[in-house]
Amino acid sequence: MTNTLIALAINGLVWGLIIALIALGLSVIFGLLDIINLAHGDFFMVGTVVAWTVLTITGSFWPAFLLAPVIGFVLGAIIQRIVLQPIRNAAALSIVATFGLSMILQEAVRMTFGPTPRRILPPIRGTFDLFGVEYEVYRLFAAGVSILALAAFFLFLHRTKLGTWMRAVRHDPEIATAMGIPAQRVYRVTFGLGFALAALGGVVASPITTVDFRAGVDVLPFCFMAVIIGGLGNLPGTAAAAVLLAFLEGIISSFATPTVARIASLVLMSAVLLLRPQGLFKGLAK
Amino acid sequence: MTRTAIDRGVLAASAVFLLSVPWLIPAVADRFWVNVIAEILIWSLFASSVNLLFGYVGLLSFGQALFFGFGMYGVAIGVEKLGLGFWPALGLGVAAPVAMAFIAGIFAVRLTWHYFAIITVVFSLIFYFLALTLKPLTGGDDGISFAIPPTFRLGGAEWGFANESFQYFFILFAVAACLYAMRRLLASPLGKAFMAIRDNDVRASLIGLNVYWLRLVAFVIAGFLAGLSGALFAFFGRYASATYMFYHVSGEAVVWTIVGGAGTLFGPLVGTSLFILIREVVSTHWQHHSLIVGAMAILIVIYAPRGVVGVWRDLLERFGAPKL
Repeated sequence: MTNTLIALAINGLVWGLIIALIALGLSVIFGLLDIINLAHGDFFMVGTVVAWTVLTITGSFWPAFLLAPVIGFVLGAIIQRIVLQPIRNAAALSIVATFGLSMILQEAVRMTFGPTPRRILPPIRGTFDLFGVEYEVYRLFAAGVSILALAAFFLFLHRTKLGTWMRAVRHDPEIATAMGIPAQRVYRVTFGLGFALAALGGVVASPITTVDFRAGVDVLPFCFMAVIIGGLGNLPGTAAAAVLLAFLEGIISSFATPTVARIASLVLMSAVLLLRPQGLFKGLAK
Repeated sequence: MTRTAIDRGVLAASAVFLLSVPWLIPAVADRFWVNVIAEILIWSLFASSVNLLFGYVGLLSFGQALFFGFGMYGVAIGVEKLGLGFWPALGLGVAAPVAMAFIAGIFAVRLTWHYFAIITVVFSLIFYFLALTLKPLTGGDDGISFAIPPTFRLGGAEWGFANESFQYFFILFAVAACLYAMRRLLASPLGKAFMAIRDNDVRASLIGLNVYWLRLVAFVIAGFLAGLSGALFAFFGRYASATYMFYHVSGEAVVWTIVGGAGTLFGPLVGTSLFILIREVVSTHWQHHSLIVGAMAILIVIYAPRGVVGVWRDLLERFGAPKL
């Protein structure tokens, strides 16, 4: 019993780190572009499909780690230019646009990849003994990659010129433009980065979940929960909330069904929205 | 012709068409289209509940499927588990979502904008997952099927949804009555108060409107519209299922409303017709019709952000005759 509890808790932790990666993309897009991105789960799904395709064509899983974020970034930048730039400053329209985008992405994948879910074997095989439970090595690797990517993103945001620009545009787009920051280009890069983060999350998660054109539908509400509980636009808070939520769901799943665990975190989220709409981790916001 | 005359003409033509559907359609096409039109009517009532909240009060709800689901389950549980007749089951299918809207609204309308959109999604997801878990009551994924009870019984004769034309007219009159009531409501002081809140809630509160209470009233009315459409849909399909409470259902209604024209009485009807007709026409030839639906939603928000009805009004203004 204790062993399963530990295994489920660690599972939750690993999954939470992956979700943190995806939710971070959602949060960046929301914070900077004021867009509620309903296609974000499908960006994740595109990542899993790229991983599957790369594995099928080259026989190796590793190129996907580079390819998926690049494809995600380019697709994201194109989508921002074609779809979202014309409707800027209209958040309600952006919800419709991203809903349409989500339908197109899902249908395009169903058309090319097919409607049947597939599985990918972990590229790192083998298990090890974790407090008496056989645990997959790959999951620990996935957690490590997620932590690295999260750290790299925060370094990028705080140590590079582009990252500083992004924070400046988020703070005050007009003054940023007046200071000579190319706000339009920053928006495009931001949306691209958001897509890239979700796609990377998809690659990391693909050997753990299934590759399916509907995979995003389940991931999206979870990412939104992390973004809300962490505080809208609060990036470190989002990451912390994702880990906390998945960890809690992991623990609750050890004595109840996963659906009950999901209900519990939704109730927690309602309480946060009503009592502390700025999120649980206000202190982390900068 | 003046603009209002053109509008009246279009309205009258649509009314004549809708009233003649059960005779007209079998004469020119497959009977199956009668049911498609009935379905369009039900879903446009559902979209009207989004429209009332978003188009007239300025609250974007992404969780109206919760009340649609309560309407469906109210009817299905009433008929199948409690053995109710048509009218008591319909009553349950309306009362349950209205009560739920009141309770959810107490919390939800404290929030606005993004937060409101998200909390409505969260509430609907909570009950979606609950419905999946409570299998003995809701049938979970499989849902509940039931046999349709007769609507009227007079001596030995019975009328009910088993008769396709009766079913069509029942739905048509229910939806038309709701739209007419909504029109009267929007012309009333209450409706004007809603629009004042939509345009500027701070000013509305400064002229003495109780913004919280008015938003709650609108939320409950919207819950009624969504619940009634769910109840009608349950009778129409003889079926209730948790899948109709998922956030995708709510999202589709938002898309239909905005594409048709939010803040106009007939916008939801136009948007819903457009999407369901495309789905029905294209899906027989090409299974990937979602591509077209998605692309259309995007094109319309880019090029016609005020929706189809908005475009229609602009056209009338430009080419139509002088204003009255």
